[in-house]
Amino acid sequence: MGRLLDISQVTAGYGSITVLRNISIGVDAGECIGLFGPNGHGKTTLLQTISGLLRPAGGRISFEGTDITGARPRDIVNAGLIQSPQGNTLFGDMHVLETLELASISRRARRGRDENLRRVFDLFPQLGERRSQKAKTLSGGERQMLSIGCALMCSPRLLMLDEPTLGLSPRLKKELAGAVGNIARSGVPLVIVEQDVEFLLSLTQRLYMIEHGEVIREIDRANAPDHDSIMKLYFGEAVH
Amino acid sequence: MRPAATSIILPLASLVLLLLVPLFATDSYTRHLFIIAFLYAVIASNWNLSLGHCGVFNFGHLTFFGVGVYTAAILSKTIGINPWIAIVAGGATAALAAFVIAAPVARLKGIYVVLVTFAFGQLVMQLVLSQAQITGGAEGMVRIPYLRLGDYSFIKDYKLGYYYAALFLLVASTLFLLAVVRSPFGKSLKAVRDAEDYAAARGISISRQRITVLVLSAIFTGIAGGFYAIYLRVASPDVFGFGTLSLALSMVLIGGTGTVYGPIVAALALTFATEALAGIRGLEEARFIVIALAMIVVLRIAPGGLLGIIEKLNIGERKTAEPADARN
Amino acid sequence: MIDTLIATLVSGLVLGSLYAMMASGLSVIWTTLGVFNFAHGALMMIGAFVAWTVSEAAGLGLLVGIASGTLAAALLGVLIERLLVRPYYGNRNMLLITVMTTLAAMIILEKGAQMIWGARLKQLPRLVDGEISIFGATISAHEAILVVLAPLILLSIWRFTVRTNVGRSLRAVGQNQRSAALIGIDVPVAFAIAFGLSAALAGLTGALLGSIRFITPSMGAEPLVKAMIVVIFGGLGSLGATAGAAYIIGIIEALLILWLGLYWTPFVLFLMMIVVLVFRPTGIFGSSQ
Repeated sequence: MGRLLDISQVTAGYGSITVLRNISIGVDAGECIGLFGPNGHGKTTLLQTISGLLRPAGGRISFEGTDITGARPRDIVNAGLIQSPQGNTLFGDMHVLETLELASISRRARRGRDENLRRVFDLFPQLGERRSQKAKTLSGGERQMLSIGCALMCSPRLLMLDEPTLGLSPRLKKELAGAVGNIARSGVPLVIVEQDVEFLLSLTQRLYMIEHGEVIREIDRANAPDHDSIMKLYFGEAVH
Repeated sequence: MRPAATSIILPLASLVLLLLVPLFATDSYTRHLFIIAFLYAVIASNWNLSLGHCGVFNFGHLTFFGVGVYTAAILSKTIGINPWIAIVAGGATAALAAFVIAAPVARLKGIYVVLVTFAFGQLVMQLVLSQAQITGGAEGMVRIPYLRLGDYSFIKDYKLGYYYAALFLLVASTLFLLAVVRSPFGKSLKAVRDAEDYAAARGISISRQRITVLVLSAIFTGIAGGFYAIYLRVASPDVFGFGTLSLALSMVLIGGTGTVYGPIVAALALTFATEALAGIRGLEEARFIVIALAMIVVLRIAPGGLLGIIEKLNIGERKTAEPADARN
Repeated sequence: MIDTLIATLVSGLVLGSLYAMMASGLSVIWTTLGVFNFAHGALMMIGAFVAWTVSEAAGLGLLVGIASGTLAAALLGVLIERLLVRPYYGNRNMLLITVMTTLAAMIILEKGAQMIWGARLKQLPRLVDGEISIFGATISAHEAILVVLAPLILLSIWRFTVRTNVGRSLRAVGQNQRSAALIGIDVPVAFAIAFGLSAALAGLTGALLGSIRFITPSMGAEPLVKAMIVVIFGGLGSLGATAGAAYIIGIIEALLILWLGLYWTPFVLFLMMIVVLVFRPTGIFGSSQ
């Protein structure tokens, strides 16, 4: 196969409620992909399933050629498949530095701890300034940075970002987009979930549109229509 | 079968059987077990009113029982009031105690409800222990006056009188619980338990509801306490301990939270089961272990891993609305 | 007058040390798992009985006994987590269900101990004989060790949760399980560690208390109840607040015994606890979230 992350025919949900239906998505090495589509249609559930927080009812997930279907979250993190979750409350009563250091707890990440820490502070200088502040005292944007910083501390081989700019002001959004672009350019493959298609288009090579727990459209930017028609497509689709 | 038939016929048939028991069980020991089982049934089914129907995690229910025990003991022995009145007075003081503890409970949530109701039990126990000149302290009180009806002493006839009095108490308590659960108030309890925010939005006062439920659940529990003291002719601080608490709790859990008959059936079954175990030499202590294990097993295998206090409750709810399911 | 007061404060310190060790164990489990462990007092009792069996019955010496008691309690704690708590993670009634399952565990341990060790009173020898005088108040050297040891143990637990990654991961799991899992913390292992640590603390407390009080199957009930008062005063949320509240309660209790006598003291303590809960539903030091 040779794909970095390969999700094939995955079905998952909560209890008797099925959220994902036979979904198949792939990420190649060195590639950034985007997931978009209306809220509540399974994007976050998909990430939870990949990270091992939810056990899929069917299908197969493999990472770097290894089957990780139903593996424990810890082993998935150890393999380098990292998620920065949505919401980003993290650990309210822990200091920024403490949190970042803790994030390198996995065996793989421990070795690169100091280097990763430098990298995070380079990328988000604000976090360096607030290193001894508790997470709950941070602003929304800073929390988002801390969440992404934590993910970077895990030495990701593939990084999944769940709505990194949710609820941020346009200025902060731009700042974070810059940082995410930096991460992508440093060679970390990304899976980004976003509502903001504009944002996705600036960062990713391929887009999957997800509705009702299924991929309803895959857009390859190499032979995709131009920017405007993708936007039309999205808003046209999203109306109903 | 018609719905109403099973929900009325089954309990009635059971009642007839229980009325006939003394004809067959003529020894005072078997009758004694029945009497104790009836009292536990009253405790457990009333506890279920707050725990199961209203979702208040009241860990101090046995306190109401203990208050009843000591009220009847002190009134009848120290003051010399007629034991019949003393028993009923136990219900009144228990309801008063419930009213006192309900004020803080109505404001609290989660584990703090458990802690404060438990602490209340300890508080009352410490009060009993510290007032040794009135309550007998750790030794308790003995030789409490027994029941009489005219010239008839209830000690006679192998406890026949006590048997029917206890059964009458259980029937009265059960009718009372059925009336509460089926009243508009009972239905509003379920509304709050299942959707607190919604109920609050509809203008149901949750605090007032919790206070009312605790007081209602204390009345017959206190009367049972009073009866217990008069019947056994002793009052001891043991009633506040973990032992009685866990036994009654296991009856509620095993019988089914949120049902009226469930804890009653469980109380009868468990009283005889533990008594049978106690009869085996070397296993006197083991019976408590068996009960604890049974509690764990029930918590584990009840549907959804006893997601149960709620889910089982839903079964109870449907039953009230449409009494077709006469599982108990 | 001053002498009496000092003696009272010193005995309050002894009580406070005992309560601090018990209550901080409850707090560790509560902050990590959101579970209130009713079997905590019973684990303390098991620590004392195992210590007695190893050191007295088997004659292996007191220190080995204390270590065994601590270890035995820790193992039982892990077992309780595995069998009686873990099945209910994610259940929205977990708090109440685990109150009942740990209560059942308490009964099993207490009655089991009674069957194994019988009802006859037992006592451990003291770590050190002799007495020590603090500002004119005399306490046994063993009690003095407890007074010194308790803050040291609490401090090292606090350092453990702040400085080490394992300790930090316990805090992280307590604050946000999902995020903790996503940075590679093994959440079930963290739960087991929290339970084991808390139970070890209970076992150690029991083994040390076994030289001061009689070892009986129900010896854990009173310290558990006191620890409950402490966590209500201190709130269950933080180790520091819990430990501070433990010493305050210990000293208040000693003063109450001096002024009101043994009988009224528990009554007043419980009354205070209920009053505190009415006005500060999350404890005096607890943050109202």
